[in-house]
Amino acid sequence: MDAVHELPDRELLTRHSQGDDQAFAVLVRRHRERLWAVSIRMMGDREEASDALQDAFLSAFRAADRFRGESQVSTWLHRIVVNACHDRLRRRKVRPATPTEDEALDVLSNERLGRAGGSPDHAARTETRLDVHAALDLLPLEQRLALTLVDMLGYRVEEAAQILDVASGTVKSRCARGRAKLLPSLAHLRNPQPPRDVTSGRGGATPS
Amino acid sequence: MTSHPDVEALALFAEDLLDSDEMRTVAAHTDSCATCAATLDELAGVTRVLAGTPVPELPGDVSDLIDRRLAEAAHERAEGAADSGTDESDADADAGSDARTAPGHGSSDDGASDLAPVTPITRRRRSFGLPQLLVAAAAAVFVVGGGAAVVTEVLRSSTENTGSASAPMEASEEEAPQDMGQSYRPEVLASETVYTDADLAEQAGGVLETTAGTDANEDGGPEALSDDAGSDLVGAEECAARLDEALGTRVTLVDDAFYGTGAERAWVLYAPADDDRVDVYVLDPRCVQEDDITRSVLAETTVDAR
Repeated sequence: MDAVHELPDRELLTRHSQGDDQAFAVLVRRHRERLWAVSIRMMGDREEASDALQDAFLSAFRAADRFRGESQVSTWLHRIVVNACHDRLRRRKVRPATPTEDEALDVLSNERLGRAGGSPDHAARTETRLDVHAALDLLPLEQRLALTLVDMLGYRVEEAAQILDVASGTVKSRCARGRAKLLPSLAHLRNPQPPRDVTSGRGGATPS
Repeated sequence: MTSHPDVEALALFAEDLLDSDEMRTVAAHTDSCATCAATLDELAGVTRVLAGTPVPELPGDVSDLIDRRLAEAAHERAEGAADSGTDESDADADAGSDARTAPGHGSSDDGASDLAPVTPITRRRRSFGLPQLLVAAAAAVFVVGGGAAVVTEVLRSSTENTGSASAPMEASEEEAPQDMGQSYRPEVLASETVYTDADLAEQAGGVLETTAGTDANEDGGPEALSDDAGSDLVGAEECAARLDEALGTRVTLVDDAFYGTGAERAWVLYAPADDDRVDVYVLDPRCVQEDDITRSVLAETTVDAR
């Protein structure tokens, strides 16, 4: 089995299409952490995110022989997850929990006030991380998604554009607007401690 | 420079997204304005903070669910070939040694206290199949020598099941699907409807109502198929199965009917989208020869389940 785990994505997908019953599971295990990050960020709800991710993996399982190789397998998987999330949001007519801009700014600045004077001990650092997720969740879906892919998961803008099926410039402007909105809530972190080593969990090049 | 550009303008500037005039203006301003230069630094800091934030960790119960459903899918694909499933403990060990697994620290999204099991819709839908019932009914047709009453019985039983399945079947969610090794079959009827593009939703709703109506009263069901039409409908079932696969859906009802002004023969497929809505696809019967099943879809709509 060890050999299977070292095969490139594309080879795994090919083997899966040829009837190998292990290959797809290996592929999924390789990507599921980052795909979960995308799903939970998009749906905002743990169960919805879980359902969407399962939908996505099952449709990828079934559609594997239609993968034409124009993009990377991981990009293709991300697209399927993003589409599954969109489908679910549409079908359920549940809008992602995104407040209006004014509400968002209010909450963000309140959090910032609440945070003032906090000591940089371990507990505060943990809280800070929670804050980042909470702050992200207050952004409009598109900005949240772009920042999750580019800034958090470290995908190149071009890759994120492929995943989201929009132009690179669109990804850049969504990121820029999202960062501008996040700034008030994250300003207390402007001299952040050296970032934890999460490069192993990242999907692409480190953003410059 | 009279006024500071707002934060968003600075963020767009940092991405080189302003038009050339604005770019020049902001560049000149930030060269001489310490405040705005600092804001630009802070914007870069946002990216650093996000990059340094651990990604939400995949909860163990979700990865278990994924493993299980993929094992099911692999099992189904192998059509009951013995022991094709994924070994769970093996899967866990693999996840642990996988270098790409996110850092093992707690995250805000785990919601560890909330362990309510998740049953995706697609899984609930699987229980619509009722192959045993259909097999039994087919045998009955053979013994009795045909007759609409028997087929109506099938429809009635099946729609009863459809009715109960449209309420969440929480109780059964932990059960392993019992129809795993058996092929899934949608129910089939011939309503004689001539569907048109303009009235598709209304007509589909009407047909659904008729089938649901057999629940409450015995007659009034759509005209059932005669035996000799059955052979033809193997193709319909095949197309339904392929559509399921292409769209990740579950066709539960096939209406052997007509479509368009020429009243061409068409198969109208009904697939519950969720508890309240049903997707309707009009299929060209030539779908049997078509590689890409979605190209045979002549029309589609979505109607209320009731």
